[in-house]
Amino acid sequence: MPVAIDQACQRRQKDAEGDLYRSIAAQGPRSNFQNTTQGFYIASPAGKLLLYNNNRDPSKLLRLMRGSLREYELGAYAFDRDKVQAEIDTAADRKQDSRYTLQPPKGGLVVRVHARVLDGYKEPETESAAVFQKALSRDNLWITADEQAEIIAGRLPAALKRRIARYHLVDNTRGEPPMWKVGEIKNMELDLEDGKLVGAVHLETEDGTRGYKAELRGNLKASGNRVTEFQLVALGEFFGEGRYTRNAPHGKFPFAVAFQLADGTDVADAVAPQGARGWLDGYLK
Amino acid sequence: MKRMLSVFGLLLFATTNVALVGAELTDERCNKLVAELQPGKDAVWRTIPWELSVQQARALAFKEDKPIFIWAMDGHPLGCT
Repeated sequence: MPVAIDQACQRRQKDAEGDLYRSIAAQGPRSNFQNTTQGFYIASPAGKLLLYNNNRDPSKLLRLMRGSLREYELGAYAFDRDKVQAEIDTAADRKQDSRYTLQPPKGGLVVRVHARVLDGYKEPETESAAVFQKALSRDNLWITADEQAEIIAGRLPAALKRRIARYHLVDNTRGEPPMWKVGEIKNMELDLEDGKLVGAVHLETEDGTRGYKAELRGNLKASGNRVTEFQLVALGEFFGEGRYTRNAPHGKFPFAVAFQLADGTDVADAVAPQGARGWLDGYLK
Repeated sequence: MKRMLSVFGLLLFATTNVALVGAELTDERCNKLVAELQPGKDAVWRTIPWELSVQQARALAFKEDKPIFIWAMDGHPLGCT
């Protein structure tokens, strides 16, 4: 049964979800929950760890998965079903840690955000480098119900423009990116007129080692009290990289970000924005 | 000669960048970019019915008598790269 998680949440969560994850991860080599526990885990429904691995070679991982499944089917990890059923029932009644179980704003919108480096990389030296160079990132922009009402009235709230700039015009194609600080927004113009979005943005760190200058353009449509289309594109030149997004192209490189209203058909539509992790209020303000 | 090639390479790169970002960002270009910046339908990992909660995955695994496979990353695996 496959599950994908941002372990930075589960290893900190003070609820049944966090307890279950930590009980499984603690059996592997990454049992210090002050640090990352990332990797692939296979466990029995009773929470007994069958395998931990952090190798990204698909063929190796597949071989290990098949081996674990075979052991499981042979009964090597048999457990007391009544006990586990009782654990599942008890866990369902426990309160969730609201810091890490974020839900999209009620009556608001979820917008898919994809970004890609369009050019500028040198020839990749490894297969994994080639994957990162072609990578398309994915995040979600959350828009509150009040902001949606403002948009329908033909106004773009300042908080929404700031949120787009700080948390969504980032190069997250090679890993977790540094978000922009408020003071790093040198310019953010985004106007809405007759359903058209037009603007420009300039983001840059104080030390001048990372920046993005882009044009913004898009379309908005509404029907009744609902935004039915939200499409926005940022196209410009990016430079620099973050601690976890190393190996960016040298110098300035063309970089595009596309925003499009989510329709809930993709499981990733339910994932909270990266910038909201652990502080939703800060993300929305 | 090496220096000349480097200069030529830089010029070529600059020209490519101008072509990619310098032209007007028209509606047509926006639509094209939005279409290009979509995950490919051939991405096999997207066809997997991922759960987003370990507890939910455990309940389903229990029901089907299967192990749980956890893909745990820094940043959400479905929302990162």
